[in-house]
Amino acid sequence: MIIRIDEYSDVPIYMQIRNQIVMGISSGELKGGEQLPTVRALALEIGINTMTVSKTYQLLKQEGYIMTDRKNGARVRDNIAQSGVISEENKTELKRIVSEARISGVSKTELKKLIDEFY
Amino acid sequence: MTWLFKIILAICIVPSAVLLLILGFPKNPETRKMIFGVRDNPKFHEGNAAKRVKEIADSCRKSALIITCIICIATVILVFLPSTNVTMLAFILLVFALFLVFIPFGKGNTELKNLKKELGITKSGTVYADLKNTSIIHALKMPWLILPNCIALLETVFAILVDFGVIRIVDTLAIEKYGLTMTSASFLFVAIILVPIALMMDNTRNTVISKDSNVNANYNRAKKKCWADLFVAMSWANALVIGILVTLYMFFFNDIAVLAGALAYMAVIMVIVVISVKLQISIEKRYERDTDLELLDDDDCWILGMFYYNPNDTRLNVEKRFGYGGTVNIAHPAGKVIMILTVILLVASIGFIIWAAATGNLDKLNVNSPF
Repeated sequence: MIIRIDEYSDVPIYMQIRNQIVMGISSGELKGGEQLPTVRALALEIGINTMTVSKTYQLLKQEGYIMTDRKNGARVRDNIAQSGVISEENKTELKRIVSEARISGVSKTELKKLIDEFY
Repeated sequence: MTWLFKIILAICIVPSAVLLLILGFPKNPETRKMIFGVRDNPKFHEGNAAKRVKEIADSCRKSALIITCIICIATVILVFLPSTNVTMLAFILLVFALFLVFIPFGKGNTELKNLKKELGITKSGTVYADLKNTSIIHALKMPWLILPNCIALLETVFAILVDFGVIRIVDTLAIEKYGLTMTSASFLFVAIILVPIALMMDNTRNTVISKDSNVNANYNRAKKKCWADLFVAMSWANALVIGILVTLYMFFFNDIAVLAGALAYMAVIMVIVVISVKLQISIEKRYERDTDLELLDDDDCWILGMFYYNPNDTRLNVEKRFGYGGTVNIAHPAGKVIMILTVILLVASIGFIIWAAATGNLDKLNVNSPF
């Protein structure tokens, strides 16, 4: 799986990595039980501080997407808890996206088509 | 200081100058990934821009060619001049004059960066990382690198024992001069220096060229294999040359044999480097069609296309843009130390040579040692 980091983005790097790993899990590019690189290796590969990657992994662990242990490092969780609800944060984000789309003249059908494509 | 020493210096200077010219100023720079340390861009191949790039490349190549010719001609002339203090000083300083080739390269780099600005090529800050290949792509097999170094070490120990008279196979020449020890130790030093460099190159960051992880893995593995083979071959060449020198020194020592040895060594090293460069170029060409990602534009972090300074990059070692091999990130704390030490070493060497010439000690160097 390829991670793309935009150095000039307003989104912090740790969040960019987190978002892409979540997208990777969702799309099936990262399968359950799949090994993730070590904090040091990924930091070296991207050329960022190890603390940034560590923060990403802590966040992903906290959110229940990955599990970490000293022996095996970080792995994608086999069974990610499915609450069936969208978090308030995501709802706000979705509202923003829908609003921007409406202002830009994107039709509801087109938006739904996009959701179907990404889902 | 004898004619032998001068010829050996000439053997080192002339091929190095030619190699620098070939590596830094290729005939068709537009076919390479980097042009004077600036990443190639599709806009460089359009209309007037293509013409400008060609003009810059031709002008810089011409300057580099003139510098190389002057260095080579001066070297040959100095070989035939009598060994006075001044000619010897000029001769040794010619080694440092090789760095003059960097001037047209830096000029080309600056002009291309200006052209980028004129063309409105904006900096892309996108970094890619391949999760599947992170830190698992290595090609260096340590035993193959350690073995020739062990052999070289044994040969050096043998040379020390011969020089100190512990081992006497035949009535060797000039044993008291420690020439054999000095020569063997110099080659051993070069071989040992190659170990951390080889490790550094094997651990360089993987380049992500495609969305396909397998393509990235194969590309990086091929490149690292090329590096690993280069260092292993050079280590074996070093071990071999020490062995040959010990044998020559003990049984057939004469000036012609040593000269032939030095020539053969330089020829072998040149062949190894040329093969390695050709392989790297063919790897780049092979994977050009598989490249579907725009690579990070960090041209501004390359001062004159030669010195990498990027405070936002935590890596110490990166692949060079001039010549062949790796260099350090000067923004990294260890990189700063390495760079300061290198500058001190260079200045000290030049200072020492000038001091030796000024005090008349330059022509009193040991003339009986093989080198």
